[in-house]
Order: sequence, then structure tokens, then C-alpha cells
Amino acid sequence: MKKVNLLFLFLCIFVLIASGCAGISSDSGTSTDGASEGKTSKEQKMTVASDVGIISLDPYGSAHGEPSTILAATQIYDTLVIKDGDTFTPSLAKEWKQPDDNTWVFTLRDDVTFHDGSKLTAKDVKASLDQLVQRKESPLTVLWAQLDSVEATDDTTVTIKTKTPLGNMLYNLTLLFITPADQATKDDFFRKPIGSGPFKVVSFQPEQDLVLSANKDYWNGAPKLDSVTVRNIPETAARMTAIETGEIDATWTIPADQINQLKQNKDIKIVDTPSYFYYFNWFNSSQKPFDDVRVRQAMWYAIDTKAIVNDLFGDTAEVMKAPIPSSVFGFSEQTPYEYNPEKAKQLLAEAGYPNGFETRMIWSKGSGPQIFELQKALASYWDKIGVKIIPDQLERAEWIEKLTALDWNMDLQTNAVISGDADYTLGRLYISQANRNGYKNEQLDDLLVRAKQSTDSAQRAQLYDQANKIIWDEAVGIFPLQLKQIYAVRSNIKGLEASPSGAPSFHQVSID
Amino acid sequence: MANYLIRRLIYSLFVIWGAITIIFMVVRVIPGDPAAVMLGSNATQEQIHALNESLGLNEPLFVQYKDYLLNVLRFDFGESFRLGGSAMAHVLERLPFTFTLAFTAILFAIIISFPLGIQAARKPNGLMDKVISFVSLFGQSLPTFWVGIVLILIFSRLLGILPSAGSGSILHLIMPAFTLCLPFIGMIVRLVRSGILEELRQGYVQTARSKGLKQNFILYIHVLRNALIPVVTVLGLLLGEFIGSAIIIEVVFSWPGLGRLLINSILYRDYAVVQAAIAIIAGIYIILNLIVDILYGYIDPRVRMEES
Repeated sequence: MKKVNLLFLFLCIFVLIASGCAGISSDSGTSTDGASEGKTSKEQKMTVASDVGIISLDPYGSAHGEPSTILAATQIYDTLVIKDGDTFTPSLAKEWKQPDDNTWVFTLRDDVTFHDGSKLTAKDVKASLDQLVQRKESPLTVLWAQLDSVEATDDTTVTIKTKTPLGNMLYNLTLLFITPADQATKDDFFRKPIGSGPFKVVSFQPEQDLVLSANKDYWNGAPKLDSVTVRNIPETAARMTAIETGEIDATWTIPADQINQLKQNKDIKIVDTPSYFYYFNWFNSSQKPFDDVRVRQAMWYAIDTKAIVNDLFGDTAEVMKAPIPSSVFGFSEQTPYEYNPEKAKQLLAEAGYPNGFETRMIWSKGSGPQIFELQKALASYWDKIGVKIIPDQLERAEWIEKLTALDWNMDLQTNAVISGDADYTLGRLYISQANRNGYKNEQLDDLLVRAKQSTDSAQRAQLYDQANKIIWDEAVGIFPLQLKQIYAVRSNIKGLEASPSGAPSFHQVSID
Repeated sequence: MANYLIRRLIYSLFVIWGAITIIFMVVRVIPGDPAAVMLGSNATQEQIHALNESLGLNEPLFVQYKDYLLNVLRFDFGESFRLGGSAMAHVLERLPFTFTLAFTAILFAIIISFPLGIQAARKPNGLMDKVISFVSLFGQSLPTFWVGIVLILIFSRLLGILPSAGSGSILHLIMPAFTLCLPFIGMIVRLVRSGILEELRQGYVQTARSKGLKQNFILYIHVLRNALIPVVTVLGLLLGEFIGSAIIIEVVFSWPGLGRLLINSILYRDYAVVQAAIAIIAGIYIILNLIVDILYGYIDPRVRMEES
């Protein structure tokens, strides 16, 4: 009998350990499993999922700039102003004025409290901006390079001074999320942060689940939802299954080949909007053969952009009409390069490459949807005019290192104009001093600097108009397509609107 | 026994030290640096240099290594660049999920492959044996990610009986655990089968038979236990394998385990988390090996004798 017991014991150990561990995970997971319960009860519980997990809730750290972090921040914190098309609407700031070109004075609402009940004052705004500026690891700190000082004049007045006029001030402020001054510097604050936004953080596990509950005392009216869970489902098949079965109520980043199937489902609606995200293929203008503008233009004439976009991207993208997406301030429509391989060959011959040449192209696999297919398509068009592409797919970290060191001939990537203002990309990437792609043009530099430093939006638009034209006509890069933000939403969800930045607010969302 | 354990413990510390030293060097030697990844593709080289400076990554490698080892002795594995906060805390947060998945997968493997192995051994080369070996070979040949997706399509989309992704209940565990153990079932079946067949040829089985004991009694009481030794070794190592490399399954089923954390940390050059995770995985392997060795002693008294 003893021998039987031993085998039995052996199995039992495994069963016990396994079930014990399952207990651990189910404890931390029960609150996250709201999807099915939400359907039956009257409680307004929404579960959404994305392919990229939320890395951090810290709006001043290295993850600030990631759409997933901005999405979370939009629900938890408030900003001084909100971008609405090409205008700005007041949020924490009731009104603002500019006594002179370098000074901005913001008057704050005095009825705003943080989730812990403490009052939001000008001191918190100052501390938040100070923190963002001091943190070297934030990709967005650079937006504030011209900042001179920020002062809390009194409880409801913030004065921001800049060294030179800052034309994109209000755009920058849409990305400045306000946290309480006395707490935000504590070590563990961003594991479960508090803000003044429409939702409070219940729990957060990086790259897993973010659970939010309604802030019933929100100054702009309590949200209609009781709770929101943001899940991370990296695998497309699983995510599409989850939206079809109703396990989740909304998801975004829908691959082109999945849209039709989702459209056939009566319980799902597709919502889309042009986004801030786009593809470009840069040429390294500092070296042969791309130092010659005719070669760069030839490369563009050689590709049939419309066919590529239609065949590969379908409903998920649009042909680009400028070096920045159409939803960005500073966009101005340019004359498209027609598909004309003969002209391309002629231009190559004029530049001294009648038989084409060989060149290396780098990209990172995770940079954007279907990047591999896009690269293949481009390479096969170029092959027809005699330009042989050596493909060099790199891991993201290695790619960034090569990219910033200008150690490449051609670079294919996606980019995002996160602030919604042309300065974010044009002003940073195309200025000679930055030397990001080897292209140098003093006239362009002058335009970009003046546009950055002007606070008159009509004048800025006019300056960017010229900058767009130079970058486009000189073919600093090829700008094939801008991506759409596409949301698949269960039809009983009301008020969820796609946002170009990929960070819609859930404040007005409700469930029927 | 106490001596033996102390010897093993000292030996283990050396192994962990070796593992973290190697990984410390490797993550720093491969191209791409953390500051560049954190700042993204729009940053300039000046910004990247400044951030590396403030992270202490411009220090000579030896200085960094010395500081790191001194901190590890205080069980401080540093801060995560990517996620913020203590690197070890992030690893330990994922560990229960990884354990749960790995143990369940092992359990599934045992429940499925033991009966199959025993059945196959009853009539070697019989019809049942051939069917079992075909099916288990089939399971072994299917790519994991494909099995995972097909399971999701069948059980979540078509039948709607299992959740497609995530964690939180026993139901969430079924598909990932099954997918994880599937490729190894064939191996365990063959181990059980050949172990039993070998034992059946032993003299004690003849003795037992001549005593008039029933075939099942011999099989389950005498033979199975002796056939277990190689199986236990494999199961122990397999558990380590499941803990360290369930990455594909974790992605397909959105399981928040250690594998996904480790891969993302490598991709983002999040040195501290990579090092902490490797230290933990090395530790788990060492403990598993120890448990396997101790289990030997219980299963086979001869092993216990040799030790003392």
C-alpha cells in the first residue's frame, strides 16, 4: 500500500502547487475579468484591449510619447487645454493670454480637486512642468527646450516664460498632464497614481491590466461609465476573437485583412479617423548617390504609391499629400509624384547612374503595420529602374542606434506627430543642426525656426506651407502613406470617438 | 544530508554568480543602448549621450559591474529603465503566473501521457501502441503558435466556452497549459512506455507473475515506480523549460508571465530586469535539480544509499 501512496502523493504535490498558484493569480485577476459580468448587470463596465500594453502611467518618463501611456494619462489626469481640431478648448485653464511674445498667463479653474480630495492649484501645474523638463528620459522634454521659467503667481494663475517665442505652446500643453506636487516625486507614486481626471486608478500591472473607476466628483461632470479595464492582448487572432465574442467592448490597431470580417458582424461597428501616424522612407542625403536631388526624385517617380496603399493597406491608410499627416497643424497639400518609371530612369541617367546602383535599406520589424510587405513592394519597384536594394531588417534597439548615428543609406519607418503640431517632426527632424538625414538647407532651417518662434498661427501656417514644399520637392524622403486610427467597437457602446493621437477620452462613453 | 545540502548551496551561489555575470556582459555587448530606445527614433545623439550619462552607463564596464555586484549582495537588482521601480519587484510580480502555467502544464502532461504510455506498453507494437505513437508524434510536430491560435478559434470563437486571452480563472489556464505541454507529451509517453517495457523484462516481474499476482497489480504497484526515474528527471527539467521559455504561449494567450517580460526587457535593453529575471530563472533551475535529486532517493532507495 505504501507504494501506491507514494505515486499518489507525487501527483498530489503537483495538483496542490498548481491550484495554489492559480489561487494567487485569480485573486489579482478577479477585478480584471469584468467583461462578461458587465453584459448582464446594469453596471456600466467597459473593457477595451490593445495590442501594445501600457508600460507606465508616468507622464514624465520614457514611456511618455507611447500612445498607450497617453491613452491612460488622458483618463487619469487633466491638461490645461484640450486640442479640438485646429482650435483649443479650455480644460484646467479657464482662459489664457499673452502679455508679450515670451510670456503666457493661464488662469486656472478653482473648483478642481485631485482624486484624494486635495485641491489642484497653480503649484501643481508648476511642479508638473518642472518635473517633465528635468527628466532626461522623456522623449517629450525636448518640446520645452525654450522654457525659461514657470511660476505659480497665485493659486489660480500660472505664468510661463520662454526664452524665445514658442509657437507650439498650446500643443505642448495638451501633453502636459498635471499630478499633485507633493506626491508625484515619491518613488511608488506611478504604480497607483492620482490625478484630477474623470477616472481613478484601481489597479495597474504594467503590460497587463489597467483598471479604472469613475471619479464621481469630476469637475466636468461624472463619467457615465462606472469602470473601465484596459487589457493587453498582443496576439491579433485572440484580440479579434475577443471583440467578436464580446469579451471586450472595443479594440484598436486593426490589421487591414481583418476589417472585412469585423464589418460583417452586426454587433460591431468600425470607427476611424486620420491619425498622426505615417510612414516615410528617408534618403541619406549626406552621401552618394542620394546627395543628388535628381536621384531622390527618381526614386519617388519609380514607385506607384496609390497601388501600394490600395493593395497592402486598403481601408487602413491613405496616400500622403505632404511630409506630415493631414490632421496635423502645418499640413499643406503638395503635388503628388506620378508613377513614371521612364522619367525616373531619365533622372537617374542625368545624375550619372544610367544603370542604377546598389543601396542598403534599414528598418525595424516592429516599426509599423506590414512594414515588411511595404519594404518588399518598394524594393521591387526600384528594382525595375535598376536600383538594387540590400534589405537590412534590424532589431529596434540596433536600428535606433544606426539611425541616430546616420549609419545608413535608406531608412524606412513610421513616425508620429504626437503633439499634433508640425514643429514636433519638421522642426526637429529636418533642421540642419539635428543632422538626422544628411539633408541641409539654410532656407528650410530659417523657415522652421521662424515657424517655431512665431505665436501667430496664420503666419506659422504660411511658413510651414513653404517648409512642406521644400521637403516634398527636394524629396528629402518619400512619404507614401498616413495610417488611420481604426477602432472596432461593440454597437452597444456609445460615444467612443476615434482620436488622431490614439488616445480617445472615455469621459462621455456609455453602454446601452 | 546537511553536508550535502550545504555543498549544493555553495555550488548554487557560484552558478547564479556565473549566470548574472555572463548576462551582465552580454546585454551590454550587443548593439543598441537603453537611452536610445527610451528616447525613441526622434531623439538626437546629444540627448542620448546625456541620458546615458545620467543612467551611469557611460562609466567603464568594470566600474558598472563592481557596483552591480555590490548591490546584488544586498538583493538590490537595480531599477527598471522601462517600467520604473525595482526590477526584481517586476520579476516577482510575474513569477506566480509563470509558476501557475508551468505546474498546470506539467500536470496536464502527466495526466495525459502516463495512461497513454502504460496503454502503449501493454501490447508493444500492437494497434493501440501504433495509434498512440502516431498521435503523440503529431502533437510534437505542430508549431506551438499555430496550435494556440487554432485552439482560440475553436474554443473561443466557435464554441465560446473558453476565454480567448488573459488570466484570472482556471478557465483561462486550460488552453495555454495544454498548448505548452503538447509538444512534450510524445516524449513522456515514449519514456514511460520504454521504462515499463524494460522493467517488465526484469526477474522480479517473473517472480511476481509466478506468485500469481494480477497483471495490473504488477504494472501499477511494482513496475511503474521503477520506471519513474527517467521520467522524473525529464519532468523536472521540463518544468524549468516551461518557466524559462513559455514566451510564445504567453504572447498568444496574453498570459502575463516571466517570458514576455524577459523578451520585452531584452528588446528595450532594460538591463536591470533582464539580469533580475535571469538570476531568478537560474535559481529555479538549481532548486528543481535539487528536488529531482531528492525525489530520486524516495523513488529508488539505492540512490539514497549511495549519497550517504
